Amino acid sequence: MYLPDFDYHSPESLDEALSLLAGLGSGAKVLAGGTDLLHKMKQGDLAPEALVSLKGLDELKGINYVEGRGVVIGALSTQNDILYSEVLAKKYPSVSHAAKKMASNQIRHLGTVGGNIVNAVPSADLPPILIALGATITLASTSGKREMALEDFFVEPASSVIEEGEILTEVAIPDGGFTGSSYHKFGLRRSGALAVVGVAVSARVENGVIQEARIVCASSAPKVIRAPKAEEFITGKTSAPDTLAELQAIVESEVRPRDSIRGSAEYRRNLAGVLAKRALIDAVESGHGIHAED
Amino acid sequence: MNTIQDKEGVKRYMLSLTVNGDPHTVVVKANTTLSQVLRNELALTGTKQGCELGDCGSCTVLMDGKPVNSCMVLALEAEGREVTTIEGVAEGAKLSDLQESFVNHGAVQCGYCSPGMVLSAKALLARNPHPSELEVREAISGNLCRCTGYVHIVEAILAVSEGRTTPPEEANAGGEA
Amino acid sequence: MSINTKIIGRSVPRIDGRDKVTGAAKYTGDIKFPNMLFGKILTSPHAHARIISIDTSAAEALPGVKAVITHKDVPDIKYGISPARWDENIFCIDKVRFVGDKVAAVACTDEETCYKALKLIKVEYEVLPAVLDFRKAMDAGMPQVHDEYPKNINVEIHQEFGDIEKAFKEAHLVRTDAFLGNRAYQSPIEPHSATSLWDGDKLTVYSSTQSPHYFQYYIAREFGMDMGNVRVVKPYVGGGFGGKMEPTGLEFAGAVLAKLTGRPVRMFFDRHEMFAHNRGRHAQYMEITTGVTKDGKILGAHSNFMMDGGAYTSLGIATAYYAGALLPLTYEFDHYKFDLFRLYTNLPACGAQRGHGAPQPKYAFESHLDNVATELGIDPMDIRILNARRPETVTPNDFAIHSCELTQCLTRARIISNWDAKKKEGGMPKGHGIGVSTGSFVSGAGYPIYRTDLPHSAVVIKVNEDGTSATLYTGAPDIGQGSDTVLCQMAAEAMGFHYEKMKIIAADTETCPMDLGAYASRLTLMTGAACKSAGEEIKKSLLEMASSMLHLPPDDLECEDAIIYSKSRDGKALTFQEVARKHFVLKGPLIGKGSYNPPKLGGKFKGSPVGTSPAYSFGVQVGEVKIDEETGEIEAVGFWDVHDCGTVVNPRLLHGQVHGALSMGMGESVWEEVLFDDEGRIKNPDLANYRILTALDMPPVESEIVESYEDIAPWGVKEIGEGSTNPTMGCFSNAIYDAMGVRVYSLPLSYEKVWRALKEKREREHGGKE
Repeated sequence: MYLPDFDYHSPESLDEALSLLAGLGSGAKVLAGGTDLLHKMKQGDLAPEALVSLKGLDELKGINYVEGRGVVIGALSTQNDILYSEVLAKKYPSVSHAAKKMASNQIRHLGTVGGNIVNAVPSADLPPILIALGATITLASTSGKREMALEDFFVEPASSVIEEGEILTEVAIPDGGFTGSSYHKFGLRRSGALAVVGVAVSARVENGVIQEARIVCASSAPKVIRAPKAEEFITGKTSAPDTLAELQAIVESEVRPRDSIRGSAEYRRNLAGVLAKRALIDAVESGHGIHAED
Repeated sequence: MNTIQDKEGVKRYMLSLTVNGDPHTVVVKANTTLSQVLRNELALTGTKQGCELGDCGSCTVLMDGKPVNSCMVLALEAEGREVTTIEGVAEGAKLSDLQESFVNHGAVQCGYCSPGMVLSAKALLARNPHPSELEVREAISGNLCRCTGYVHIVEAILAVSEGRTTPPEEANAGGEA
Repeated sequence: MSINTKIIGRSVPRIDGRDKVTGAAKYTGDIKFPNMLFGKILTSPHAHARIISIDTSAAEALPGVKAVITHKDVPDIKYGISPARWDENIFCIDKVRFVGDKVAAVACTDEETCYKALKLIKVEYEVLPAVLDFRKAMDAGMPQVHDEYPKNINVEIHQEFGDIEKAFKEAHLVRTDAFLGNRAYQSPIEPHSATSLWDGDKLTVYSSTQSPHYFQYYIAREFGMDMGNVRVVKPYVGGGFGGKMEPTGLEFAGAVLAKLTGRPVRMFFDRHEMFAHNRGRHAQYMEITTGVTKDGKILGAHSNFMMDGGAYTSLGIATAYYAGALLPLTYEFDHYKFDLFRLYTNLPACGAQRGHGAPQPKYAFESHLDNVATELGIDPMDIRILNARRPETVTPNDFAIHSCELTQCLTRARIISNWDAKKKEGGMPKGHGIGVSTGSFVSGAGYPIYRTDLPHSAVVIKVNEDGTSATLYTGAPDIGQGSDTVLCQMAAEAMGFHYEKMKIIAADTETCPMDLGAYASRLTLMTGAACKSAGEEIKKSLLEMASSMLHLPPDDLECEDAIIYSKSRDGKALTFQEVARKHFVLKGPLIGKGSYNPPKLGGKFKGSPVGTSPAYSFGVQVGEVKIDEETGEIEAVGFWDVHDCGTVVNPRLLHGQVHGALSMGMGESVWEEVLFDDEGRIKNPDLANYRILTALDMPPVESEIVESYEDIAPWGVKEIGEGSTNPTMGCFSNAIYDAMGVRVYSLPLSYEKVWRALKEKREREHGGKE
């Protein structure tokens, strides 16, 4: 196995990186953690002419709470930075929990939140919980910055709206009205497994009644999707068993999985319903806290 | 980064890094991985290559103290970093407690996963000197072992966290009869 | 019987432990020679195709490429395990028979250039229809994988012992169940590699091998060389599990490339290529019929199997015979019929994997036996105890069993797993289930892997000149299982020496006496026997020497803990060291030699040698699982393994073997399967999607040994390395059934299959069709 040849650049600031990218054009790729990119290159699926490494861009690191903006996660934060973040442990343990379910310890020390989003893989573990919490992202280019809802970033099939020359710089979880959130992943072993299905749920609960909810499913369609009918159904209801059974059925009807080596479409459809139900129960009963199993 | 170009137009980059405390400077193509530099340029073949895709953990090294799959790290990304390989774990001729414990607990069989396993365990104990069994299992779950079922490996790591390098039943007798 | 030993029975640390935890241990791919080239093999992208032409010119023109070879450059002598089924060439000549079949090879200045050169070899193929489903391979109109083997039958076996029809006629219940196995892959963590170099007419190959001797034999045979001119060296090996038992092509191609270039050549597989080469576990279709009495006593059994052999014989003839031959080991019955077809398909060849041939049939039989027990209303543990084999019995297919403590294993497993309490209504939490299964395995094959009258194992021990250490020279390959350690323990025990002072030179065909290799769980008993003879010869020489030094008769002397002392007079003693040194001064080198040949074993029918062994291990596993009813997810909650493996040489190493065999069995039970697409390409040739267990998947394991002694073996030892893989799949199947009341009839017992079985059960119950 080998990586095809490429030129390597390691700019020291975001501005330098952006002008480099602008100059190099479509043959260049951004290198963050490299765990997806190098994998694709070794498998022969990608052969960029140049890689622009972001390793010197300290401005894209760090996880902080910023008054008025919420929790701001630099795009170069590794999955383990997220797992061990004190800010997230306080505000959204559910996000750390999603990171914990990813790959392996060694890969989590390399892989970044930015990479996990930009690769636009439908089985990515961080986007569902971030979308459920209403996260926004910032994309920078030589012509400036734009901010958008993470939810609007992905397009089918397995791609995104990112444009040539753009770098994802940060993810922000706004102070929303959600009282709870949770991500449930179903993998075929307990480590180093991609999600057969993953579902994140966030909810705003008052006196046991769900005022608002987001249900976000990974590995359930060619991109990460929400389940709007299920969200509408659950709004104004409690998490009573009959309601949950109905919710499960609605989610099953909304997802569009395909047969894969990890599971048949029928199985994955079932899983999406089950996980949505379980994630909802957590979001209602345990706030943003972590599942009982942990 | 200093570069030179060969006659096909492929660039070579001068890379400086610290491995097991020793400074090294090597000239590599951009497509060289850290595992390749360690194995081929520095002859540190204790870093194994099992899958080359970040799935097996045989090539685990510590980069600034954190375990990473060196097959998934471009060598150039290690510029200026401190890398620890299995060759840098023993204190001279004396095995580290973890190494000693691995040997005494029968945590080693074919040995191909052992270097990566020891390094993952070392990083864990540095961060968390008294892990639970689950935390030990989590820390080594990116290091695949096909021989041991992990039973003795987990025992060996937990023993060190309790200040032992020998199994309890053998600590006094030097082996059971 | 208890034995008085000093070193046998002690958990001494591995002799290679230090090398392996410091990174000092060199595996084949770590060894670099000056001027060395790198080599790779080009393989077929098609499952079945005629080779029209091969054009290597573009590859040859690439800078850094030093040689390109095809079938024209190598001998066209076919190879395989048995002369009647030699069906594989070094490189394909007329056609390719699976995706991964070998077509050409390159030698280059670096690894990267190898991959680039392979892409430049242009092979024109005429794609042929392929046989991908072994169950249809015999059907009329199916393509022929090999013209020489009509209906794609690689081997067929029809054996009958006793009178099966009569047994079924007399039975209270005759039940048939059918099961389907999965293709599994050994997946050692170290990829295969081989480095070849020539010195004049002499070829040396460093290889990641389980059998240097078998490789030496095959390399010599392929190239028409004297075995004395072929040296095979096994450096440290990172696991084999059966997948490194025969030459892969890396040795053959490397030898030719090294000759052509005059430089050492390191050939290597990457992970994908390992999967493509394969030789993993045969997927089998298994139909089992048994006739039982009302009380559950088995009267007779019929195994009717079909097996996916893949494109070549490989070691598969042995696998085929083993599949049926080992089934009557654990339970006593007189009437047995075994039918099997091993079929050629256009998939990678299957071979030997831990438990060789036995684990899948065991899954079928043990699942079936639970179905029988359910039908009769008998506890699964009870039906096994009722039928369990006893010592000094003979199987219907003429295997003589000596030591056998299966009943004790069952009884003990029942206690330590808390079986009876758990089996009671409400004895376990909801969703939990518990299952039991048995296994047995050979302690070495009774007949050699190829036809020869050479001994199976031979060793030499040399006491070093000043008597302070001794070196064991053995052809036995330690591939991780710990044979270097265990054999040194045995040698030291026989000599009356210290383990800590033993050195070992092993698995080098030039410096070591021959050994057939690490397969069929043979080393502890067979090479152990050779070590015992060699050690005793040394002891005898020492006692004779000491006799003249002490002026006492030799039979009054004993050597223990490196002290030679008089049994009758206190204070008369010499050290091993001083006597050994004196021996060297007066009589020359102090050497002990030993070799081992098994006694004549087995019956006289066709195929009777396969499955014979001087001794058999027996074991029982109980597994508790927890099933998530909504997703089918299976959690292994706990496993208990109780084994009769004779005398234990090194408890810690032994339990490590049990843990490892169990974890491999677990993987195959639920998580592992090589998947193929409809063109015969592997869909999961990587360790992300071929899911061997991680540390988080492995449950707590209790491994226990029962008291047992095998009279026919040195110090009463038997095997352990493979036996613990045999019960596991059946154990899972039965535990899942116990938890959920559904039986999954195909491996792996995946989450999705369990979910589907539960869904179908619910539908049946709601539909009232139950």
